[in-house]
Amino acid sequence: MRRWTRLLTAILAATAVAMAVAALAALAPASPLVSSCAGAGPNHAALVVEHGDGSTVTRCVSFATASVSGEQLLDLSGVAWSGESFGSFGEAVCAVDAEPAHYSTCPGKDSYWAAFVARGGGPWQLTSVGVSTLTLSDGDAEGLRYVPAAGSPAAPPSSVGVCAAAGATATVAVAPTATAPPATRTSAGAAGTASVGATASPSAPAAATVSAGESFAPGVTAATTHTSTAASASASGVAVGIDGAPAPTGGSGIDFGLLVAALTGGALGGLALLRLSAGRRRPS
Amino acid sequence: MSPRTWLIWSLAAVTVAVSTDNPVYRGLVALAALNVLLTWLPPGRRMKPLAVALVIAAALAALINVLASHTGADVLARLPSDWPLVGGALTLESLAFGSDVGLGLVAALLAVAPLSMVLEPHDVVDAMPGPLERTGIAVATSLNLVSGFGRTFTAVSDAQRMRGWRPRGIRSWSEVLVPVVLTAIEDSVLLAEAMEARGFGAARRTSYAATRWSRVDSAVVAAALGSAALFIGFRLAGVAIDWYPYPILYLPPINPALVAGCLALALPGFLPAERGR
Repeated sequence: MRRWTRLLTAILAATAVAMAVAALAALAPASPLVSSCAGAGPNHAALVVEHGDGSTVTRCVSFATASVSGEQLLDLSGVAWSGESFGSFGEAVCAVDAEPAHYSTCPGKDSYWAAFVARGGGPWQLTSVGVSTLTLSDGDAEGLRYVPAAGSPAAPPSSVGVCAAAGATATVAVAPTATAPPATRTSAGAAGTASVGATASPSAPAAATVSAGESFAPGVTAATTHTSTAASASASGVAVGIDGAPAPTGGSGIDFGLLVAALTGGALGGLALLRLSAGRRRPS
Repeated sequence: MSPRTWLIWSLAAVTVAVSTDNPVYRGLVALAALNVLLTWLPPGRRMKPLAVALVIAAALAALINVLASHTGADVLARLPSDWPLVGGALTLESLAFGSDVGLGLVAALLAVAPLSMVLEPHDVVDAMPGPLERTGIAVATSLNLVSGFGRTFTAVSDAQRMRGWRPRGIRSWSEVLVPVVLTAIEDSVLLAEAMEARGFGAARRTSYAATRWSRVDSAVVAAALGSAALFIGFRLAGVAIDWYPYPILYLPPINPALVAGCLALALPGFLPAERGR
């Protein structure tokens, strides 16, 4: 009987040690063996995608050219997406990672993908062009957020830090509830192991950092693989959303084009009014 | 101006109006076309029916877009979401885009208005290239029928009123519409017989007085084609000339070169109209 008791105690102890080791491994910082960004090159741009449920996906993309388009950044990041072309506006983002899974119109009637850009680590600004027309240089960031059609679209979480120290990380934020406790999990990656640690912050509630392989190819982490696969499935059929269009806010003073147009329109309108009044006075 | 010049000018102006979503360019094309129309409008022709049609078309376009599109940051009002199609938020952005669509309609209609309000139907036929001569005749005949239909309607309804007829519901209008339709058919048969008697289709159409091509025609055609080419070229070059107010309203981007292109369309409005009449 005592022998069975010792055996059971040994098994429980081994299990506890294994769990402790696993927990420590999960809490350990990201593996330095993996490379920092998707793509290759000296320049970096960040991608921040915030889904409708609040979960976010961030990517740091390297590129060798002086600049890349927003569309190229999305392609290099490995995030599955689909879009629709709107003439000179460019490509609008309709669906990202299978959100929405199905759509009939792009932009969607209820929700759409609003596109933002942050220059050199600055604040997010809604883009006035589609992602294919959007140009990103080293240090810039592209943001996508799935927002309701009505109301002012809120910006995604800040891109600061996505391409900085972390270097080597693709970040996946999960469980965006204010009360969500920090969570940890571990999954196997292409390079052998990948650790996922979660931290909570006011702006991005619970962010789990996933150290990944050189690219975000299948097999990197369970979460990433799942997302990409689901998105690929949706991309073949449909997609949703849009990216937005507004207000170029740069520059100060009077817009020369606006001034010319106002003068021309005023002159033509005034002339038309003069001719109309002259025509009324003219005896028939 | 030569009828062919008018045709080219109208086609160029329509091309510019539909090649961009930018309301500034569309508005400038509309103003240019309005000036041209007011300059060359023959005495006795009234603008009011056209103005009413333009206002109705633009208002309908804006209304339909506001009710059907619920995207935009600035919500003006909300309709119950269970109402089919129109249910949801009514936004400032959808109103702006609907107005832009309406402005495009106004610009396009004003651009083609000289073909019916300045030119005579036979001028439109003359403006067509040789291979499209019969098409021109069909268009001219159609334009004639529209005004003829209106005149017949007025005459028949006046005659019926003198006989004591008063509109009392939809059914009572049959007493006016049936004679109007029968008269229109009779007029069509008479027109066909008259055209056949004059040898329609036997040979190329001849004119009593051939219109002369002048330097003014060359200048107007060059300006109109240049304007259309400018817009097409900018679009092909990938320069953003459109305006898309979703999700937040913003000022449309304006290129001074394209403003100049719109202004070039107003050239016939600065010419002495007597020269062309």
